Amino acid sequence: MRTKAMQTRQAKKWVDRAIIAVLALMGISMLMPFLWLFSMSFRPAAEAYRMPPSFLPPTFDFANYETVLSSSIPFLKIYWNSLYIAVLVTIGQLVTCTLAAFAYARLRFPGRDSLFFVMLIGLMFPVQVTILPIYLGFAKVGLLNNPLGLVLLGLTSSFGVFMLRQFLRSQPKELEEAALMDGAGYFKIFWRISLPQLKPALAALAIITFTGAWNAYFQPRALIESQAAMTLPIAMDLLRGYLGQGNLSLVMAAMSMAILPVVLLFLVAQKMVIEGVTFSGIRA
Amino acid sequence: MPDLSRPARALLLSGPISTMAKRRLSDLKKAQMQAGYVFVLPSILLYATFVLAPVIITIILSFTYYDISFGADWVGFENYIRFLTDSRSLEIFWNTLRFAFLAVTFNVGVGLVLALALNRAMPQFLLYFFRLAFFLPVIISAAFVAVVWSYFYSFDFGVINYYLGQVGLPQVPWLTSSKVAMTSIVIMDVWKNTGFFMIILIAALQGVPRPIMDAASMDGASPWRRFSRITLPYISPVLFFCIVFASIGALQVFESIMILTGGGPGDSTRSLSIYLVDEAFGSFELGYAAAVSVIMMLLVLIITIIQLVGSRRWVRE
Repeated sequence: MRTKAMQTRQAKKWVDRAIIAVLALMGISMLMPFLWLFSMSFRPAAEAYRMPPSFLPPTFDFANYETVLSSSIPFLKIYWNSLYIAVLVTIGQLVTCTLAAFAYARLRFPGRDSLFFVMLIGLMFPVQVTILPIYLGFAKVGLLNNPLGLVLLGLTSSFGVFMLRQFLRSQPKELEEAALMDGAGYFKIFWRISLPQLKPALAALAIITFTGAWNAYFQPRALIESQAAMTLPIAMDLLRGYLGQGNLSLVMAAMSMAILPVVLLFLVAQKMVIEGVTFSGIRA
Repeated sequence: MPDLSRPARALLLSGPISTMAKRRLSDLKKAQMQAGYVFVLPSILLYATFVLAPVIITIILSFTYYDISFGADWVGFENYIRFLTDSRSLEIFWNTLRFAFLAVTFNVGVGLVLALALNRAMPQFLLYFFRLAFFLPVIISAAFVAVVWSYFYSFDFGVINYYLGQVGLPQVPWLTSSKVAMTSIVIMDVWKNTGFFMIILIAALQGVPRPIMDAASMDGASPWRRFSRITLPYISPVLFFCIVFASIGALQVFESIMILTGGGPGDSTRSLSIYLVDEAFGSFELGYAAAVSVIMMLLVLIITIIQLVGSRRWVRE
């Protein structure tokens, strides 16, 4: 009886190990595309298509990176556009969504619930259903081929408002009430009490928004054509067409630089990124 | 202090107000109202300008023939009729549904298998590695990784065909055959997104109560029986959410197809999103493109309604 129990426990341990081994193999193969692109970016351009492919960098010679930066495609300008849009959009959402979330969660005013409901409906609209009027409108006011246009589109989000409001509602409000009794104004209460309470949710929203803006493809693709106004995701396609025929290594060097911020963010704050992304359900 | 805090609470929450002087009360109420409107103003204005108004205009546009230089002509349901009777648009519609069906099935299915496999005790560094490996593709834009995959899938110089050749298998026209291209896109999509569902399902699995599982295995229930009778019912609401969520994402598929095949060969991988962009910015059929986008919105709406109705039925108290 006893030995049988021990045997099954032993067997279970081996099953566990086998499963973990299989998972490890799968995990490594999941990373293959990344290992490949990183290694290929260091391969001498002339040998780009030589088989077998590299999955570990053959050298650490940054020649390909230098070529991308000095090519006729304004790669640094494109990189700057992506950074500029992602940073401003993140700041914008932190500000507008926090203010609104505070009002919806903590203040009472006529029409509050209907306004919140109208805002919530926004979660349902796919990005495709707003693009034509935005395109026509932007064409009229000169925001086509302008990174500023993409910034404007991202300054607020239904999701951000919704997420922060839910978070704030789960927090105790005694402090706020006490401050109100002491004669503090609503802005002061917001700034001194609610904002610090919101810190973890704000960090999550910042991560989600930054990655979302960095990865965005549909709107930039529809609204931007000129190279000088491009963002990285739409420029990748251009780079592939422009450099790709003869030079795979160059495209991969550009790609390594393009994914770097998000990869770094993930390596440093893995848990927070996963929690933020799964909570919001963005699909990059 | 406790008796003083009551009126304040009455203002912050709802409820009877009796003790406070009327003037001070109305002042506070007014200040609160003003603050409320000022605080929601930026988001409401931006939302109205860049989301709400465009959606309404798109719906109106979908009933017109719109020409950029001559303006709009009302054509009633003509654009919708064209969509529903044109064999090309119907093929694209079915392509999109087929992609969605395959992508949802495999994304959630593989995610569930991975979650079950990962839901066991293991050292911290392994956990970090698995989360890294399975979740990294989720957070990198499909626009980036699809370029990498296009080199993997390339017929003559592709990494996959090279290894197939090494083990003596025939080369596969991953992106150039209309029979295979959709499968290739689904494979990349599952590689990219399944980690998302894996993470959500791991969280759900950890909510299955241990004692019930232990009791079941004591009673000699087989692993499959434990899974189908205990685990599955427990995680079914989350599974349902995953399916709904995956469907909404898959119906909008755009960049991965755009970069891998551009919708081809022929129309074999063209999705509604790509069709919409082609019609709008290629042929400048703006009214028709608007109708296509409204149809996409309706699909998302239907799924959302299914979710609302379904979750009421599925989620246990």
